[in-house]
Amino acid sequence: MATKFEGNVKAIPEMPPKEIEEIRSSMESVSRKVIAENIERMKKTWPNRPKTMQYFDEISNFFGQRLEDIRAQKEAGKKIVAYSCMFAPIELILAAGAIPVRIDSGWYDAAKLGDKIVPVEVCPVIRSAIGTQMVNLSPYLELSDAVIIPLTCDGRTKLSEILRDDRTVWTMCPPRIKDSPESRKLWVEEVKAVKKKIEDLTGTEITGKRLRSAIELTQKATKAIRRLQEIRKGNPVIMGRDAMLVNQTSMWDDLKKWMQKTEELCDELENRIEQKNWACSPDTPRVMVTGTPMIWPDNWKIPNLIEESNPQGVIVVDELCSGDRLLYDPVGVDEWTMSDMIDAVADRYTLASTCPCFTSEHGNEDRINWLLDRIKEYRVDGVIYYVLRGCILYAMEYARIKRILDRMNVPIYYLDTEYTREDVGQMKTRVEAFLEMLETRVALKPVN
Amino acid sequence: MTEIIAEMLRVAIIAGVIFAGILAILIWVKDQTKKISYLRLFIQIAAVPVIFLGLIIGPFGLSQFPPVGNAPRDALVGTEILGASFPDGLSVPLLACYYPSGRTVTCPIWQIQTYIFPFWSTGLGFGWGVYYANTGLERLAIVFGLVIVMSIVLGRFFCGWICPFGLYMDLMIRLRKTFKKGYWKLSERVNIGLRQLRYVIIAAFLILSFVFGTQAIIGLQLVPGTQSGEYVYDYYSAPFCQICPMKPLSVLTESALGFMDPTSVFSQNTGLLSEAGYYVTSLNVSVLALVTIGALAFRRFWCRICPLGGLISIFNRFPPFKWVSGVRLNKIEEKCTKCGICKRVCPPQVTEVYEEKGGDVTSPACILCFRCVEMCPYEDCLEIRVAGKPIYNSRNWLEGLK
Repeated sequence: MATKFEGNVKAIPEMPPKEIEEIRSSMESVSRKVIAENIERMKKTWPNRPKTMQYFDEISNFFGQRLEDIRAQKEAGKKIVAYSCMFAPIELILAAGAIPVRIDSGWYDAAKLGDKIVPVEVCPVIRSAIGTQMVNLSPYLELSDAVIIPLTCDGRTKLSEILRDDRTVWTMCPPRIKDSPESRKLWVEEVKAVKKKIEDLTGTEITGKRLRSAIELTQKATKAIRRLQEIRKGNPVIMGRDAMLVNQTSMWDDLKKWMQKTEELCDELENRIEQKNWACSPDTPRVMVTGTPMIWPDNWKIPNLIEESNPQGVIVVDELCSGDRLLYDPVGVDEWTMSDMIDAVADRYTLASTCPCFTSEHGNEDRINWLLDRIKEYRVDGVIYYVLRGCILYAMEYARIKRILDRMNVPIYYLDTEYTREDVGQMKTRVEAFLEMLETRVALKPVN
Repeated sequence: MTEIIAEMLRVAIIAGVIFAGILAILIWVKDQTKKISYLRLFIQIAAVPVIFLGLIIGPFGLSQFPPVGNAPRDALVGTEILGASFPDGLSVPLLACYYPSGRTVTCPIWQIQTYIFPFWSTGLGFGWGVYYANTGLERLAIVFGLVIVMSIVLGRFFCGWICPFGLYMDLMIRLRKTFKKGYWKLSERVNIGLRQLRYVIIAAFLILSFVFGTQAIIGLQLVPGTQSGEYVYDYYSAPFCQICPMKPLSVLTESALGFMDPTSVFSQNTGLLSEAGYYVTSLNVSVLALVTIGALAFRRFWCRICPLGGLISIFNRFPPFKWVSGVRLNKIEEKCTKCGICKRVCPPQVTEVYEEKGGDVTSPACILCFRCVEMCPYEDCLEIRVAGKPIYNSRNWLEGLK
């Protein structure tokens, strides 16, 4: 009996390249179809979509123009740094002249594939990521020179090990206690460590000047994303899905271009507000979505259901790390010195985050405050608490949030699902029942 | 007569320039993240000539020290206001140091130390040799009364916006910035320790003041040479001023600018701790040097330990003064995502704004410089309230980016 093993034993069993390619190409064609279908559905619900949305439709295609752009830039010598969670400091990647791409996985079929490696109890986002790794489905992951994985949850921790079998993986260890001085010290050190790694990879020193311009770029992106959110506070002039798509494309688009296009979209929408050209009836129940990330393209299930159901709902705001929380918090720098900028970047990713992976002396009160503020500001009629089975963190926070919202007389509905298309019918019934209830409430709401 | 008109004209011109400067800053500095900081810097600079107004206004006819001008304060020597004689000028809780020429108002720390000396009697005092119509106790009551009124009305808003030594600290920050150097941070424990230490300093120096004044109180001279009427006496009557870094700073600045006679400044040796002179003691200069180095390394270093700030805090931060105090910093909990920017940008490293849940978050260490309000990226989360009315709110400063 062998007591020692030689060499590197990978978690993913070897597969013949031909088989991999077969699965990959079939998945890719399905994915292309799903992307096109989702866009079609969005167009159908809102025939009068702004012209600018066309740009985001194009960018949303993983196998389209943006991929070609990145490929061309890689050939020109640029490095691609992928990251799997919004905790990765993209300012540092941008400052080093590399291209940051978020590679969180939304492919349903890939999750099925991941089932072969890890049990189904594991969060589907992680399983899907494993699946994409097995058959090289994600083009951005394939192009990346390194992957930053912040170890926010158990799933990501082990995912980093599996990806490390074949790629350069840089892990970052975010603290679990959000605001104690000790955890802050740890996180600042982690950010510094990753900065060093990025510098080594790109061969570019991240100078104060470079970092400053990167921070200013993301600040401007924040300005754009906030402007879009500000517009959504009023009567619905943009459908929630479209706004979510705009938010989501920022994860892999060129930020400068994305920012310009978002500003353009906002200009167009502001015009529409003047013309009172609403995307749907202003009486439509205003829904907020909170919980686990909903990732393009496959996991567009719930937004599709909400905005296509009868009665219709409109998502006015979300609390998703793949949505309105992206880029929302700016990096606030006091003095433009290196140490202050690093501190500011570090704080922006932990302190400002409302991810339930954190706790503090007051629990995760930041998230509760965030939700309460949004509910008031966006005149939310009902909250959908969306949890992917396997995400313990979001699931466990539900109990408290439900009680708080009950006390405030805000309806909240717990929707748990999987990376699968099979439960669409059942989900539809549930969403419709909730929206019907909201519609009645909206109708009965006293006019003031 | 023509002289007075000329003086008034000069004051009017200065006031006009200040007003125009404020307007220009408000209009032209579009960068939202810097607006209030520039305004503050401007007001700090403008406050210096106001505090030392005597330098500009010129003599009122009293021949005093060698300087070019005399303080309006000096016009009060021997006169009475509402039945109280105040030859040393009215006290205003800011570092309007007693020692330099041309100050308009006087630092209450000096007054408290000095008046505690002969508070049991009226009669000939010291220094100017002025006859006080009031007992020391009455004078102390007036000083404390003024300090309390000022603390309630403006509180440590003075520290952030008016205090000349605060300006010196801020200039040190700017100097450091030009060399592109970062700052250090005191650990939270040390910072809070310093905050409490200032009360120990006040108490210790008041006790010292008593010890040096024993000759006047019980007729027993514990420290030799501290008889009434001598320079030594005058010197020991305000022991804290002999280590305060503001004294040499303002005296040396005025000597350099020609407002004070340097020979007079350096000629008056009074022994013991004052080898370098009455105006600038060796202790003074070494403390100033230390504080300057400290200010280069840590933002607003002296403000964390300043006893004057502590004095204002007492009458501003605790009930019942807290309930009626004028300038307050308020936080709305729901708007706050605890992003930590307020904590990081705070010059004296105040953590209360970040840590406290909501409502009134003005801390005893807060100098109300409004930097946190300026940098807070969430609409209406932090607000400055004057008499309960919000006057300055945090806003989405990203909108100002170009």
